[in-house]
Amino acid sequence: VFGTVALGGGLASAWYMIEAGSVLSTRSFGAWTTWTAAGRPDADPYTRAHMVRNGLMPLASTLELSFRARTDSRGGKINAGCDYAIVMESLDSAAWWSLAAFDVRGRLIPNAAERYAFTSDTVMREPDGRAIITLARDARPGNWLPIGGSSRITLILTLQDATAAAAVYEGAQMAKPLPAIERMSCR
Amino acid sequence: MMPPEREVFALKAPRWLGEVGWRTIAGAALLGGIIHICATLVVPVVGSSVAFARLSEVLPANRMVVLAPPSPGKEPLPFLPPDSLYALCRFDLSVDSLRVNVLLAHLGWALSMHTPQGDNFYVMPAQPEEHSEVSLTLGPGGDKLEFNPSPGRLGADSIIAAPSNEGLIIVRAPLKGLAWRAESEAVLRRASCSPVKR
Repeated sequence: VFGTVALGGGLASAWYMIEAGSVLSTRSFGAWTTWTAAGRPDADPYTRAHMVRNGLMPLASTLELSFRARTDSRGGKINAGCDYAIVMESLDSAAWWSLAAFDVRGRLIPNAAERYAFTSDTVMREPDGRAIITLARDARPGNWLPIGGSSRITLILTLQDATAAAAVYEGAQMAKPLPAIERMSCR
Repeated sequence: MMPPEREVFALKAPRWLGEVGWRTIAGAALLGGIIHICATLVVPVVGSSVAFARLSEVLPANRMVVLAPPSPGKEPLPFLPPDSLYALCRFDLSVDSLRVNVLLAHLGWALSMHTPQGDNFYVMPAQPEEHSEVSLTLGPGGDKLEFNPSPGRLGADSIIAAPSNEGLIIVRAPLKGLAWRAESEAVLRRASCSPVKR
């Protein structure tokens, strides 16, 4: 019993801290979570283990932030059975951004349109400068990001913004909130 | 008429639990903590590194290779921004240093250098409204992060010290659209990393 509790507890807690993260290594902004020291040589052991175990090679979080979302803004799992809208309107300070859809293991989701992401260069904007990205299984007008073929979706929002990166690393708030992920309808 | 007698269920702790002393519990917690710390520290060493091992199989040493754009089943790494082209150089500094020449043509382009564990020890982004021509020498012996938010033009005598003899140089070129693909690819193909005597 002694050994089981010690071994099981030690390994399970390590696995959780490495895979899911905690307040020691991650920060959340609405549905989006980022590993604050990702890619940095002075990263904490949990962040280093997370990056190595998942085969990630991120740009240092001095320059760029990579946010992950597996739920919408109301906490429901993002899945291919629903449509979602993301209004990109608060990212003006970023030199470049990218919003991409993956399955939970980080693989691209096959689709006939061969569209896997939108970036600040490729997205179509409204007259007021906002960009509305629609995640859906079937084609939608405007910025349609297909999410069919995978039951569980992971969204990755990459921001190249050194000022925001410094704020997040130092525990400060971001100047503007990250885009909300609104669930529109489900089948 | 009497109501039927109801069975009363009570949660009883197993008898052996009462025999476990506080010393045993404290010992288990302590040992669990040690296992937790060891497991966390050992992962980056033992796993060293899924990403690097995967890319090492397909990349020659000390040569820049332009990869095909990521597509389903052909992602070089998980969760990599897909609307970009990538040029990669697997460096090996055990014999020679390395001369790196890259043009960061547009905003979003970035040059980064990583250890096999994924530590990004050097990063340089493109600058707004200017072409950032990067020319530097990568040698062994560094241990800190370098970040150039405003690099301008680096002379060929700029020396970056890598904390490990092996690692990866990644040039990311976000695609502005299909029309720009040929241009971006041409710029990436001019990027180079080649050994120089030290």
